[in-house]
Amino acid sequence: MRRWGALAIVAALIAIGPSGAGAQAPLIKVGVPGPLQLAVGQGILYGLQLAAGEINAAGGILGRKLTVVPEDEAENPEIGIAAIRKLIESNKVDVLIGGQTSGVTLAQLPVISRGKIVYLGVGAASPLITDQVRKDYANFKYIFRVTPVNSTYLGFALADFVDEFAKTELKATKIAIVGENLVWVQGVLPAMERRLAEKQGVQVVYKELFDVRTTDFSPMFAKARAAGAQFVVPLMSHASSDVVVKAYASLKVPVPWGGIDVKQQEADACEKLGGASVGEVVLFGSPPLKVAVTPKSIPFLEKYTDRFKRAPVYTSFGAYDAMYIYKAAVEKAQTLDPEKVIPFLEKTDYVGASAHVVFDEAHDVRYGPGYAVETMVQWQDGCKRALIWPRSLATGKYVPLAWMR
Amino acid sequence: MVDVLILGAINSAVYAMLALGFTLIFGVGRVVNLAHGSFYAMGVYIAYTLVVVLGLPLIVGTTAAVLAVAGIGLAMDRVLIRPLRHSVLAVLIITVVFALFVEQVIFAFYGYTSRNIPSFTTNTLTVLGVTVAGQRAIAFAAGVIALSLVWLLVYRTRFGSAILAVSQDREAATYLGIDVDHVSRTVMVLSAALAAMAGVLVAPVLVVSPQMWVLPLIKSFAVVILGGLGSIPGSLLASVLLGYSETAVSRFVSSTLTELIPLVLILVTLLVRPSGLLGRRIEL
Amino acid sequence: MSRTAPGVAILVALALVPLAVRDRYFLSVFTLANLYAAIAASWDLLSGYTGRENFGHAVFIGTGAYTAALLNTRLHLSPVLGIAAGGGAVVALAILVGVPTLRLRGPYFALATLAVAGIMERLALLLWPLTGGEDGVYGVQPLSLSAPTTYYTTLAFMAIVVLGLYWATRSEWGMVLRAIRANEEACEASGLNVTVYKMGALVLSALPAGLAGGLYAHVQEHVGPAVYSAALSVTVIIMTVIGGIGTIYGAAAGGFLLTALGEVLRGFGPYRLLLFSAILLPVILFWPRGVVVQLAGRLRRG
Repeated sequence: MRRWGALAIVAALIAIGPSGAGAQAPLIKVGVPGPLQLAVGQGILYGLQLAAGEINAAGGILGRKLTVVPEDEAENPEIGIAAIRKLIESNKVDVLIGGQTSGVTLAQLPVISRGKIVYLGVGAASPLITDQVRKDYANFKYIFRVTPVNSTYLGFALADFVDEFAKTELKATKIAIVGENLVWVQGVLPAMERRLAEKQGVQVVYKELFDVRTTDFSPMFAKARAAGAQFVVPLMSHASSDVVVKAYASLKVPVPWGGIDVKQQEADACEKLGGASVGEVVLFGSPPLKVAVTPKSIPFLEKYTDRFKRAPVYTSFGAYDAMYIYKAAVEKAQTLDPEKVIPFLEKTDYVGASAHVVFDEAHDVRYGPGYAVETMVQWQDGCKRALIWPRSLATGKYVPLAWMR
Repeated sequence: MVDVLILGAINSAVYAMLALGFTLIFGVGRVVNLAHGSFYAMGVYIAYTLVVVLGLPLIVGTTAAVLAVAGIGLAMDRVLIRPLRHSVLAVLIITVVFALFVEQVIFAFYGYTSRNIPSFTTNTLTVLGVTVAGQRAIAFAAGVIALSLVWLLVYRTRFGSAILAVSQDREAATYLGIDVDHVSRTVMVLSAALAAMAGVLVAPVLVVSPQMWVLPLIKSFAVVILGGLGSIPGSLLASVLLGYSETAVSRFVSSTLTELIPLVLILVTLLVRPSGLLGRRIEL
Repeated sequence: MSRTAPGVAILVALALVPLAVRDRYFLSVFTLANLYAAIAASWDLLSGYTGRENFGHAVFIGTGAYTAALLNTRLHLSPVLGIAAGGGAVVALAILVGVPTLRLRGPYFALATLAVAGIMERLALLLWPLTGGEDGVYGVQPLSLSAPTTYYTTLAFMAIVVLGLYWATRSEWGMVLRAIRANEEACEASGLNVTVYKMGALVLSALPAGLAGGLYAHVQEHVGPAVYSAALSVTVIIMTVIGGIGTIYGAAAGGFLLTALGEVLRGFGPYRLLLFSAILLPVILFWPRGVVVQLAGRLRRG
């Protein structure tokens, strides 16, 4: 009954705000645009609630307490634009932290820019968002991305995974790529193929972009097998990915697979599908496992799980870090004025729960060892999860598919 | 090639279950029910509630769900459609608003995160060298049985003749002493039950989400238009055509274009031969 | 009470809105309401008067919107030119769609138009190098940086559309449309070129929708595939049904009403659409001729 959950969060967030008695400094309002009906959207709120609660308990920022103002984007640009307008013009928030659907964020950029308000993205991966910073700094300098790494880097990460794991450990030199026929995939796919070509040794023998409304994936898997694929890389973010996973399991496809599958990041995803996800390897920017991606990862994971009785999603890590990053910049600038805060934001060098956050000149979080990294986690028997790549962070070994043992 | 034959057959059976009820309602009552997909969705979610949330056995839960949806169909007909029968537009609008309402009720209880209904079986079958998911095979078998029963009802019973009579000429049927309202009601119940049944059979391998009513509706339209609104043989023929063309395109071309097929079929049929393959020549 | 007095009063009230509403966000809601009202009125012309219910009106809104957005972002055409071009594209599209479909009736016409809009929506997604796919076209030049100016522009547009269409329906030509709805065969038999009239209605119905789409692109500074969606088509129809079919002003009023209702329900968060549809069901059931029209009728009589 998640609807009640969302209402409860909002009520709790309202409760965080005005605490304590007597005259107090005006609250700092944090506007949160996001797909609040989805787990990734709720994750933003929970992450912010955690951070804001901690910060408020320690006295707030510049002596002012934080309050969180959520506004649903519903994955729809028209609603998203209205949400930003409402937050900026009606609620008069001081900063925006949120976002998850790239298309919605892109549509919101002009309104944010004219509102001259800092925006810390914690969910949308399109490089086009931060491209605007480069192309028109004066107008778009307000935009930053804390998480995830942009699509190009996601493509690189997948290529690295295929090269270092699929080829080396599973001896797969021929792969198939199956992705949704959507624009975001076009941001990831070319980068992945480019990197694979550089690394050599792996050949893409089959590629298919499928309509998300497809109901029968037997032809697709049959064709991948016929082409000789030894490993399949899915690129999926839509709710319809469930159908693909169920198809894979019910057909007992004898080819291992792993890639981007946003729905399978959810903690109860495997259970919900009756165990169909077992065997699939899923990309995680911030794995919900006791893995010290950074020294702050495990403490955050434990605090979050204790408080909200569920595992955090990638947006939760990002939102938590974004709040602290903002706090640090504001305290250095000694003001909330975006013009003064931005220079300090640009110089951010912060070890958060999601990554060691440093921004490049397009205000995009840096990718690479020592900065933000990507990991691959496999769903294993009993719907348990183990991180299998990179080796340095691994919590377990890759387990072959049940029907291939 | 063989896989197209086998997989296409399964898809066709499911489409037939969905479309048959739709075409019956139109034939008998000249009603285009835009909430048809909602019966499909409700069947699944009620089954989910009974089986996964309340723990009833699978077969009990799914049967109860189908019966429940049949009842809801009856109520919807009585309360929403009957009063607005005089206006095609009003019926279209009220049924689509009802569909939205149902979607939101489901969403209020279960959110947007997908659910899962357990399959009747997780085994796979191999038919003529083609791997088929067990659940899909069961869907096919159950579908064929259900369709056969409906066929028998319509073409081999007195009540079936009444249905055919009302479809042909409502007024004349009244003069013959047929209780037209009773026929309409029964057909609505049948239609809802078939759609719900299609749902519980196929949902284990498909997405279960509040918006799951849209796609079955589009497919039903495509089949019914292609076959001819009101024609049962037409719907069956068109189900096979749609099921196979989708599978074939998916297999030989690409899955990118598969979902355009139903829409294009609807448009082409309406432009070239609006009465469909086997429908009556409609007065234009 | 004179016929025009209530209309003038409403127009004056709407003109005063920016003075009362300082909040740019709420002003933007009114701005969009103006566009929806114009679109609903345009739908009413075809569907309310000729008895051909267009279930794919979004195809005109979307084409106008994408044309203006793409011409502006790719070829740097000014909003005025882009919107006008959108209008032209929509007229061409109306003729193209109308020729094969206008001979259909009732649910067949509805389904054909629904299919056309559905195909366009799929194409907007499939042709992503051109349309930006699900992300859409962003960075469209704003109509004006001043919220009141934008509001007045859309208000003027809405007023012209509603008045123009109303005047058209009250003319001889409008009379013929109604005759066609009542008995098309008789009209044909009496020598009228029914096809020309129906096509005229379709084009006159499509044009304001296309222009509204172009305006929408420059107001939102973004266009996505939702602008071709069946949801939008159905929303427009519901606006007209709620307001009152076959009156033009009823549709426009319905546009405002439904936008207002949507805004009022915003506070209910996730339950917004549930309440929305729950409210609509009895309204459609008990006032099938339209709330506004029936109320206006009662006021005039009483």
